[in-house]
Amino acid sequence: MNEPAADVTVHLMVNGAPRRAAVPARTSLADLLRDHLHLTGTHLGCEHGACGACTVLVDGAPARACLLLAAGCDGADVVTVEGLTGDEVDVLRAAFRAEHGLQCGFCTPGILITALDVVRRRPNATADEIRVELSGNLCRCTGYVGIVNAVQRAASELCDRSAEVAR
Amino acid sequence: MKPRPFGYAAVDSVEEAVALLAEHGDDAKVLAGGQSLVPLLNLRLASPAVLIDVRRVDALREATRQHDGASIGAAVVHAAVEDGRVEDPTHGLLPAVAAGIGYRAVRNVGTIGGSLAHADPSAEWPVVLSALDANAVTRSPRGERRVPVRALTTGYFSTVLEPDELLLRIDVPPTRAQRWGFTKIARKTGEFAESLAVALVTLETDGRIAGAELWLGGAAGVPVRLATAADLLRGQAWDDKARREVRAAVALDLDPPVDADGRYRVHLHGVAVCRALDDAIGGQGAL
Repeated sequence: MNEPAADVTVHLMVNGAPRRAAVPARTSLADLLRDHLHLTGTHLGCEHGACGACTVLVDGAPARACLLLAAGCDGADVVTVEGLTGDEVDVLRAAFRAEHGLQCGFCTPGILITALDVVRRRPNATADEIRVELSGNLCRCTGYVGIVNAVQRAASELCDRSAEVAR
Repeated sequence: MKPRPFGYAAVDSVEEAVALLAEHGDDAKVLAGGQSLVPLLNLRLASPAVLIDVRRVDALREATRQHDGASIGAAVVHAAVEDGRVEDPTHGLLPAVAAGIGYRAVRNVGTIGGSLAHADPSAEWPVVLSALDANAVTRSPRGERRVPVRALTTGYFSTVLEPDELLLRIDVPPTRAQRWGFTKIARKTGEFAESLAVALVTLETDGRIAGAELWLGGAAGVPVRLATAADLLRGQAWDDKARREVRAAVALDLDPPVDADGRYRVHLHGVAVCRALDDAIGGQGAL
């Protein structure tokens, strides 16, 4: 593709399934997910990257869906909150329940994506380090303590589980 | 909000990118990570007619060792630097700086070249790469040129880059300093800095300062070299007297404050510089 186009056709993986959409070039990944694929778990809070409500996994790493153009995600592997499955996620979800890590739920999808990345990438993070890692996800309800506790609890349990497996 | 409509083109090569920039010039913007550009589009503070997406240009994502220095492609993401996946001739300064940029989700996508080209006065890379005396290499229809990063930024969100000029890579030279210190002060973790201080220091065998390179970001439209403060440190021990003198010298190198807010900011910058020197001399980083 060489001439600038006002509309684009995007092929990408979303939650493990190949999806295709023809959208205006200015469409964000968030808008593609929400409006075209009806995956409304990815939320829009600020649309400039500060609040974290739109955070999804792109090719395995957290990214702001509000700051990615759908056009730029051709060929990408996207996972939204709707696509979070597996043992790791079950542990995370249980930890959030046990530690009261959510209230209204608006920040929760972005928080879960970020938290999953933290427990994978920094399984031994301290509470302070977790707070820094979560600094890009704003929550207006909880005061963050339950969220940090949930991430620590999940990290610790996942660590125990992998120690079990190793034995 | 949503951006105004634009034309989008993804390119696979530097040549394609430059050709499109030549064709569309002032009406086009390069899209690398978009973590600075897309917020502007969403807020309608920028409305380019054309976006040229260079994320698939492999040449812009390479990072290689060059003699004792490093060459970092303009589209290398901050997270790659943070994680140590990029050649680092600064013994930890580059990763430490990268780790403080915004949030991980932003660092996974935002690029070092984008930061330089955007020239936000509170951004990390313009001031840090100025302190390191790095060079930016660019390509335009007129060919390639090397621009010292110290000469790249001309003012708030303004650089010497022409509308048809693409940033290719940043060459970081080996540095003569022995130790580094870096301080970012922001109200909230991840936000843009209220003050950014970089200190590159060489010590005598008795612990006195042989030489220092001091740079300040977030204080003006361009990164500020603190020449007065650096000069007075030569031959000095790093003690409370030196700290007081540095804070006074920082105030001299900045615009005189006219109100309480200005006085606070100058004080803040002095504190940031002292913390960076504490880090450098107290043993944070050996270069």
